[in-house]
Amino acid sequence: MADELLVIRCQLGERDAFAELIRAWHPAIERYVGRMLTGPDDDVVQEVWLAVFKGLPRLRQPDRFAPWLFAIARRAVMNRLRDVYARPEPELVDDVPGADEAEAVVDRETVGGALAALPAREREVLLLFYLEDLPLDACAQICAVPVGTIKSRLNRARKLLRRELARKGYEA
Amino acid sequence: MTPEDLLKRLDAPLSLRKRIGYVTLALTGLAGSGLIGLLWATEPGLPPRTTVALAVLAAIGLCWAAFGGWAVTRRAPMFAQDRVVAGWLGLGAWLLFTAGALVITTLRHKLEPSLVVVVLGLGVLAIVNLRAARRARAALLRRKEQLNRLP
Repeated sequence: MADELLVIRCQLGERDAFAELIRAWHPAIERYVGRMLTGPDDDVVQEVWLAVFKGLPRLRQPDRFAPWLFAIARRAVMNRLRDVYARPEPELVDDVPGADEAEAVVDRETVGGALAALPAREREVLLLFYLEDLPLDACAQICAVPVGTIKSRLNRARKLLRRELARKGYEA
Repeated sequence: MTPEDLLKRLDAPLSLRKRIGYVTLALTGLAGSGLIGLLWATEPGLPPRTTVALAVLAAIGLCWAAFGGWAVTRRAPMFAQDRVVAGWLGLGAWLLFTAGALVITTLRHKLEPSLVVVVLGLGVLAIVNLRAARRARAALLRRKEQLNRLP
């Protein structure tokens, strides 16, 4: 609700609301861009915010700001990682999140450290679902795929993450 | 990059003066080229060089209008209050064009029915645009009030 009010104030053109919106969401965008590109990139972050403010007057559901914002950030990241996203996706595993024992090790700290080694699609769903605490339907909206695909990607991502953590010496 | 750095970088694209400047530029170009076109159409027996000069002036006005239109739709975001200001500017430009058109036509020739249709059409467009902008802003203000009243 706080976000919706802030977005509406921005849509009205209140200048102090622009600053508040940036202060509230800049760390999340910087974190997402930095982890997806495996290093901070101010130009991409600026590109994201420019696109956000250009698109804000046309945002029809201010209460769905977070998925809309991350969809823009994802597009900017995809432009940089076009080759990585162009590779075909491995066969999807139909499963639900929470059914895998690797979930026990998935917390913010460990995920953050091992993410860089994961493929872009898997890294992306882990970032959105675990680090940004976005619900499955929001992740699906951001990635423009069905919820089932997000579940499968999460499942595969956790397995890859578990393998990566084991390789680094962590125990599940 | 801190949020403050980012705000500084976004200062230019989010500048209200710039956005209103683009709208003014577009409307001035449009009204100017319209009046020049009217002079061109109503002045009998113009020498070819004058015709070319008027055509060039009208084209320059249209180019500025196109640039302003592109800038406000693609380059600078138009928020609700900007749209209301732009709507009033549009109405002002229409009044300016109407006054100019009346001076040019009625003082020198008879009032053309086709010109009256064009002027009235542009007037309706300006009023509808202003009304839509005001309604959109009012809807946002209502929602803002609702959200502010929630505990």
